[in-house]
Amino acid sequence: MNENENNFESLRRLLALKRHETPPPGYFDHFSGTVMARIRAGEGGAAERQESGLSWLSRMLAAFEAKPAFAGAFAFSLCLFLVFGIVYAERPDVLPQPMLQSQQDSSPLAYATTPGGLNSLPAEQPVAVAISSSTNPVFSSQSAGPWFASQGAAVQPVNFILPGN
Amino acid sequence: MAEPVPGSEPQPSASVDEDELVRGAREGDLAAYDELVKRYQERIYATLYHMTSNHEDANDLAQEAFIKAFHALKSFKGGSSFYTWLYRIAVNKTINFLKQRKNRTHMSLDDMDFNAEHDPDLMALISDQTPRRAAGLSELQKKLNEALMKLSEHHRLVVVMHDVQGLSHEEIAEAAGCNVGTVRSRLFYARQQLQGFLADYLKTT
Repeated sequence: MNENENNFESLRRLLALKRHETPPPGYFDHFSGTVMARIRAGEGGAAERQESGLSWLSRMLAAFEAKPAFAGAFAFSLCLFLVFGIVYAERPDVLPQPMLQSQQDSSPLAYATTPGGLNSLPAEQPVAVAISSSTNPVFSSQSAGPWFASQGAAVQPVNFILPGN
Repeated sequence: MAEPVPGSEPQPSASVDEDELVRGAREGDLAAYDELVKRYQERIYATLYHMTSNHEDANDLAQEAFIKAFHALKSFKGGSSFYTWLYRIAVNKTINFLKQRKNRTHMSLDDMDFNAEHDPDLMALISDQTPRRAAGLSELQKKLNEALMKLSEHHRLVVVMHDVQGLSHEEIAEAAGCNVGTVRSRLFYARQQLQGFLADYLKTT
């Protein structure tokens, strides 16, 4: 390393000339005063921000600036949350099992979710119960036909004529 | 070893008081912090100036570094000296600033003080042959700054701290957050680069 130091001696002497580059005379007389004034102003500003309820945001941003690791951890947790949300959203519909199990015996909703659908619903079971017990669309146009057929009802087209026409 | 730079050596009595000043500043004593600012302002400012080659940028960055250090004092554990810790804040801030300023360079070319004209090293370096003779003081300074600005931020930092500021390899490693081996290799590479850039201005032995 000493040999390297000798090789660079001229360069070091040249670089040492940069020590002569100084700020204007009197510059440092006011430097610390300016810094302290800015610190005081910042403290006053912080108190005002705290009163206005924005301090948590500024504190968080300051923490991000001061600790890059904190910012990274926050970003990572956000990404994790996003990925979890996407994966969960792409899963097939999962019905709340405990609710279904409690109504497994006779609820029309339970019949609607079985492979046989409403076709296996007992005739005496009131349909209104199924409608009121769930916000999911239980009936479809396809499943309504067989059920009405099993009740022996005839479906006839209706043509309304409005008065005045 | 780095040459000692006037004003850069920590004074024994000052280092004893430093702990008390830091403790006071941490408890919100602005007078104590004012004393710390006065103690280190010149060295911090000089490093930032040599990194940016611009007095206005160095001024802003030095002020912001001191302000940030004040607000972060509670996280200062005392594992290193306050000066090294402060240096690290200032250096990180400056490197971030330089990365943002990548494409914008402006130098202040008439900033050498009067004493530079009487420096024997300078007289010796401006040779009586070749283009060096024609190169005046400001021309040399311009070339010197341009050469430094061609280095990467990390290489420039090591050269400035060692060859301009006179800090030791260990102090630079602590302030730059790397090991001493990295400091040595960066210094060697940076000097090689500078020798190439400034070949016309270096005396051949």
